Amino acid sequence: MADDQTSGVEMTPAGETAEVALAYLTEMSPDLRGGAILDSGGAVLAASDQPERWREDAAALFAVAERADEEQVEQVHVATEQGEVFALRHAGLAAIAVTERFALASLLFFDMRSVLRDLAGGGDGRGAGAA
Amino acid sequence: MATDGGPVPPKPHRVLLDRVSGYADEAAAYMRRRRVSRRPFARLYFAEGRASDHAADSVAGGELFVAAGRLIEVAGKRPKQ
Repeated sequence: MADDQTSGVEMTPAGETAEVALAYLTEMSPDLRGGAILDSGGAVLAASDQPERWREDAAALFAVAERADEEQVEQVHVATEQGEVFALRHAGLAAIAVTERFALASLLFFDMRSVLRDLAGGGDGRGAGAA
Repeated sequence: MATDGGPVPPKPHRVLLDRVSGYADEAAAYMRRRRVSRRPFARLYFAEGRASDHAADSVAGGELFVAAGRLIEVAGKRPKQ
């Protein structure tokens, strides 16, 4: 999973750290139903449940997105009647979030991006703002 | 209270309540319009800032909706709070 958005050293976060990051993302986004954080190889670092399903379905979503436009996709947003799916690749990691309908897309993408950036930099996803 | 026969002005708290409920009505109408007018969509964003929309009846759009549907299924329903 390539990403040329960041420079410098990127670390693969431990599962426990990713769990903290996912919990933080869930806490920040009241519309969130579930989500997952994946590493550059597509392995699940944290998931709300059923990590194997998240791995398979996230890989399928990114694969479809790549095929759709022959270009490296950074963000995917699919809004359906049943809910909305947000997928973001950043800093060598990927985050998937499923929300209720009408979630605020730009805000959620911003939160996902900042969580991934912090995780990649060796933090726990909460950034400097967390006490 | 004597009003000298003129109209009685509304009590201040009534004015405030009317204004607040007016704003609430406007907001509710906006959300209703948004729900009605917003259709399902699949949108991809690329690193250089470009974005592309894929209609549900296109091949790519259909595949994106199927893949997203599976993720929605995994996430399940939102737990009641």
